[in-house]
Amino acid sequence: MANRRSLPASFIIYLVLIAIAVLDFYPVVYMAVNSSRTAVDFFRNPGGLPSEWNFDNFKALYYRFDVLRLFGNTLFSAAAAFALAMALTVPASFAFAKIRFPFRQGLYMTIIATMTIPSITFVVPNFLLLSRLGLVDHLASVVLLWAITSVPSNVFLLAALMRGIPNEILEAGKIDGIGYVRTLARIVVPLSAPGIITLAIFNATGWWNDLFTPLIFLQSDDLKTMTVAVATILKRFDTDYPLLLAGLFMTSIPPIAIYVALQKYIKKGLVIGSVK
Amino acid sequence: MHYRTRESLTGYLSLLPAFLALAAIVFYPMVNTFIHSFTKWNGADAEWIGLRNYTFIFTNGELWTLLRNNAIFLLSIPGILLLSLIVSVLLFEEVRGWRFFRSLYYIPTILSAVVVGMLMKMMFAQSGVVNQFLRGIGLSDGNTEWLSRAPTAFLVLIFCFYWQTLGQGVLIFLSGLSSISHEIYESAGIDGAGWWQRLIRITMPSLVPTIVYFTVTNAIYCFIGLFSLVYSVTQGGPGRETTPIDYMIYIKAFQSPGQLGYSSALSIVLFVIVLLVSWAQIRLSNRFEE
Repeated sequence: MANRRSLPASFIIYLVLIAIAVLDFYPVVYMAVNSSRTAVDFFRNPGGLPSEWNFDNFKALYYRFDVLRLFGNTLFSAAAAFALAMALTVPASFAFAKIRFPFRQGLYMTIIATMTIPSITFVVPNFLLLSRLGLVDHLASVVLLWAITSVPSNVFLLAALMRGIPNEILEAGKIDGIGYVRTLARIVVPLSAPGIITLAIFNATGWWNDLFTPLIFLQSDDLKTMTVAVATILKRFDTDYPLLLAGLFMTSIPPIAIYVALQKYIKKGLVIGSVK
Repeated sequence: MHYRTRESLTGYLSLLPAFLALAAIVFYPMVNTFIHSFTKWNGADAEWIGLRNYTFIFTNGELWTLLRNNAIFLLSIPGILLLSLIVSVLLFEEVRGWRFFRSLYYIPTILSAVVVGMLMKMMFAQSGVVNQFLRGIGLSDGNTEWLSRAPTAFLVLIFCFYWQTLGQGVLIFLSGLSSISHEIYESAGIDGAGWWQRLIRITMPSLVPTIVYFTVTNAIYCFIGLFSLVYSVTQGGPGRETTPIDYMIYIKAFQSPGQLGYSSALSIVLFVIVLLVSWAQIRLSNRFEE
């Protein structure tokens, strides 16, 4: 609709956009700036600037709270969960997209319907099951739950993309006599790479930000993921706002970095499903 | 083997791992929860008590407080819907730098609800920056205890919800807007339709499917996605005044000994609610496709 806009109209548009930008971004700046203050300095004037920049909070996070280990726990679990999720998702999506068999539509609807089951409704039996297997308070529990509960939405997205793979390519593969595994590895996965990257971004940021699953299944402090550690360990020091803010700031850096670096994939993923 | 049979077999074998995994971690536990909703259960011993959990849920009055709390979030959806629509329409004017604003607006959406919740909790603390600001511009005495009374606690929670949802809304509506064909606008322009007329006659009707999608995803979120936010801002308090259903299930299951049967029954109630909302979504989107 961009045409013949009057000067006052532009002015109003900018006014609204800038006001919302300030409201959107001020808390992030507030978090970043105040994480570099001492508690004394902070409480003298919570809305002000640091009287001097002080990075002790980050040092404390590194030495006292072993933040690298917390990052490592989260990264390891997310990577393992994504590998497992893809091992389950890729063949299933391929089957739904390109293989004909009886009851395909019904099975597809079953998987899609699973998306609407709230995870809190089945967490107790899982907790009991995994504790019987000795997996509670072990990263494996979180890996399993993250990976498997992500399968339905991943299949939904990936099957939609795989339907776009031209049948000629698959048939050419068949004529060359390559088997099922090689069809997946050589043709299907490379052709779905953009979709798989989108899923990696969505799953990884979702898991990085997740509180519920790791909160319930991990209990030792040294096994916690970063987000849970902030919500539980650091919270014990909740009178030291700047320290807490430093923890929140560090928790926010990976998602923001992923977003800044990989924006175009995120947009693609969000838009699938919203526009028909 | 016959070609068709082999293809079917390949299909089923491809699905097998995913379905086995879902059966172990989702389907079986759902059935397990359903069965235990008729018992008094402490995790080891379960005693069959029939419908007592359900009659208790529906008669002790607690459910209505929980549902009221979910309903308050539901009722806040039109506000963020309107805000997202306004911002999207303004961005769609493509003023200089609109891409920058679009990117900036998305940042709160990618942060963890835990980060947002704890950050806002500090900003809305009694000695926090929000009170300092309100006193500075003379709107209050600067001593508001935001989280110790239910109405203001809800304001803080809904502010967090809005703050995180705007970026998602803007992205979805912008893509909805860009899928409207330019010819329609041009021919409307030739027919002499002004900016407002085009907005109301063309833009809004074309956005209806996107509006339905946004509303339903957020309605479901209001039932199953509030846990992290409530955990990090109010912990359901004061009292149970800001406790939504999913948070109550967590309290009953993991913080109250021997209430696993009750929490299972509450889980089934939540499941049925979400099922109804999803069913409404399918009905609505089918209607709009016709």
